[in-house]
Amino acid sequence: MSRESILNAVKKNKPDGLPLPEINLDFFDEDINLVETFVENLKFVGGRAVQLDNEALLDEEIKKLYPNASKIVSTTKLSQLGTIAISKEIDPHTLEDINLAIIKGELAVAENGAIWVTENDFIVRALPFITNDLILVISKNDIYLHMHQVFEAISKRDRTFGVFISGPSKTADIEQCLVVGAHGAISLTVFIV
Amino acid sequence: MKVGLFIPCYINQLYPQVGIATLELLEKLGVEVVYPMGQTCCGQPLGNSGYEDDSKGICQLFVENFKEFDYIVGPSGSCVYHVKKHFDILEQTDDVKRVRKNTYELCQFIYEVLGKTDLGASFPHKVGIHKSCHGLRGLRLGSCSERMDAHYSTEENLLKEVKGLELKTLNRVDECCGFGGTFSVFEEAISVKMGKDRIQDHLDSDVEVVTGADHSCLMHLEGLINRNKQPLKVMHIAEILNSSI
Amino acid sequence: MAHADEAAIFNKDEEKVDWHDKALWFVRQKRDKSAHKVKGWEELRNYASAIKANVLSNLDTYLLQFEENAQKNGVTVHWAANAEEHNKIVHGILQKHNAKKIVKSKSMLTEECHLNPYLEKHDIEVIDTDLGERIVQLAQEPPSHIVLPAIHKKKEEVDVLFQEHLGTKPCDGDPQYLTAEARKHLRSKFLKADAAITGVNFAVADTGGFVVCTNEGNADMGAHLAKVHIACMGMEKLIPQEKHLGIFLRLLARSATGQPITTYSSYFNKPEPDKEMHIVIVDNGRTEQLSREDFRASLHCIRCGACMNTCPIYRRSGGHSYKATIPGPIGSILSPGIDLKKHSSLPFASTLCGSCSDVCPVKINIHEQLYKWRQVIVKEVPQPIVKKNVLKMAGNVLANSKIYGFVGKSSRFMLKHTPRFMVYSKLNAWGKARDLPEVKGDNFDEWYKKRKKNE
Repeated sequence: MSRESILNAVKKNKPDGLPLPEINLDFFDEDINLVETFVENLKFVGGRAVQLDNEALLDEEIKKLYPNASKIVSTTKLSQLGTIAISKEIDPHTLEDINLAIIKGELAVAENGAIWVTENDFIVRALPFITNDLILVISKNDIYLHMHQVFEAISKRDRTFGVFISGPSKTADIEQCLVVGAHGAISLTVFIV
Repeated sequence: MKVGLFIPCYINQLYPQVGIATLELLEKLGVEVVYPMGQTCCGQPLGNSGYEDDSKGICQLFVENFKEFDYIVGPSGSCVYHVKKHFDILEQTDDVKRVRKNTYELCQFIYEVLGKTDLGASFPHKVGIHKSCHGLRGLRLGSCSERMDAHYSTEENLLKEVKGLELKTLNRVDECCGFGGTFSVFEEAISVKMGKDRIQDHLDSDVEVVTGADHSCLMHLEGLINRNKQPLKVMHIAEILNSSI
Repeated sequence: MAHADEAAIFNKDEEKVDWHDKALWFVRQKRDKSAHKVKGWEELRNYASAIKANVLSNLDTYLLQFEENAQKNGVTVHWAANAEEHNKIVHGILQKHNAKKIVKSKSMLTEECHLNPYLEKHDIEVIDTDLGERIVQLAQEPPSHIVLPAIHKKKEEVDVLFQEHLGTKPCDGDPQYLTAEARKHLRSKFLKADAAITGVNFAVADTGGFVVCTNEGNADMGAHLAKVHIACMGMEKLIPQEKHLGIFLRLLARSATGQPITTYSSYFNKPEPDKEMHIVIVDNGRTEQLSREDFRASLHCIRCGACMNTCPIYRRSGGHSYKATIPGPIGSILSPGIDLKKHSSLPFASTLCGSCSDVCPVKINIHEQLYKWRQVIVKEVPQPIVKKNVLKMAGNVLANSKIYGFVGKSSRFMLKHTPRFMVYSKLNAWGKARDLPEVKGDNFDEWYKKRKKNE
């Protein structure tokens, strides 16, 4: 209702036009080992990295790390461990007691240990958050140096919902003590294949 | 080169030894220095309190007193900063512009204009620098801990060349001391607490003498040190740079 | 009460002041470490500042572009001129869905609009789901920091609070246990919520999408489980293009907590089928601030809280001493624009040290704006008569060399000869904890004259 009055006030009160800067990415360029930097930053944000030479070994490794997981959702063909099938139509509340979700990440960011995943990858938006533990699988060729490159890489896509995930859910709201496992996944393991 | 010596009001009245050291030091460095009588203040106490408009007469007098000099040099970063930054309230005549441009804090003048670091001083003591905020973040006398630039410090450059002087590193290298002009009175509790914390940092860092390029901060710290009878001495950097044994 | 009085009360417990100062300094140090690792940090700040300045100068265009794109994505866009309209809009959406149980993730805007009490009055349960915000909500306090809402609370206090409200066992303030209990408690709230409210960190004009950043995952738990998602945003949250997120996401978390990025940076573009997504764009004084040339850059703020962590006054007076939704340096330049009289002491709650401006990821000249607000305040808000007269008199004295010479000498005389009990009386705020400088011999003027004579 106030739309017009707000827009008119903005028009009246805004300063004269200022240019939008051209961003020179040379400032941010670095010649570093992307996998190493990614792994280092992933550890820093509380995640675990597992490097695999052969993606056929993935399920074996997951079973080693999560031997007790029984309610597993896998949304990637790379893993056959899924015990619960999901589709877009399910009520996300039914995922409440999922132990483990296995999702293919689209790309990873070396500078901050984050992985970009979208609705296409996890099907149900709540999945990567509501699961107790989370596994993301990325290809070592999909690691980018910094966020500028990443946004360039994902600029052409169907935009629905996507998220950068950097480590497990955490909080330091009680006296700055870092506690892993707030509302989202309490652990994050990233397989780099 | 003719330099007008700018002695801030509180130094004139309360710390004449700082003014004397500044004058002697500049003369020692071969500079022709004149002290214009009739100078008062830069107007900062009013400006910082919100009464900038009432300080125009003061600022104008400052310009009148110093307009004929090639450089204006004073031993107080915050007063110099005020001239450079806040004399925008005056009509920007050529005189005003020149005075603003040519006013320098003492260390900055020695380092940047005279290009000297070794001043032949000797001071065999453990010294901690209080990097006053207006000199640091206003005049950029050194790199600021918030910014990601390479490290530099005008005061350190000069003190490092003083014979026998041992420069100590603080835990918080450039935290404010809490003086802040009228802040020291109107926000007394925090001002005092900030000062106490700064002093403790110097004590924890094995400092004997606290120095700096702004005596207003030092006055505040000295007031606390004296009241609490703490084993620290306070000296303006001009006094150290002018000292010899 | 003025900030100075609140600060004096806070400073009665010096141990707590030290604890508070150290907790926040620790965050500042983490920020420094993190920023040092970024090549081109200062360039990032320059770009962020220039982009935000461009946004303000084209805000109407970007708002329209954002609205159009968001609508294309199936998002409903609302406009609120003020807090009241914002609250009504949110309530209206909730009513339409008969939503009675709401989960909310962190949003300083809804704090600013006092949304919680408004909804509670209408029999709607609002649960703040960020752990820190839940803590202060249970304690019935406002957040004391925009990123660390409960930074003023000791873990033992949280322990007692949780025992009382969540039925937890006494645990000596064990953060691990308390967080696990909060997870259980809030999980049940997420699962039962009818609608989720979130804030907005960045709204992207060229995609119509918006980004919400959290570490806990609470915004996502709320938004993806409930049928309705309402995102409330101040109109200054816009950025022109998606690629600019690269700049801002690199700066935000590093400046806030020293993390390289928040755990979750969730980018919402379209609602899921059968669900609704609403965006409420709020003015509430922002267009007025936009009109003030000296102060409009305050609208660059991305709410990282770095200026609070670095501010030596904030660290030693606590967020509540500011009595404003946004405390600390940035709050002290935003709040006077909203209510000049009420917040008139805030621009004076600073030594103008400038640390806030240098730490700011979008380069807001905070300390310069504090100085400028002071000039406005003494003209528009009645000042204590003594302060006003003393300073005006000083203006006259210092503009006149002769009178100054006389006054300077006489005040030196007073300082030297006034008995100690008068100098250090209660009225003298300087002397309460500090000695006055010792006056010795001649002032510089006199010394210089004598030296000239002897030349």
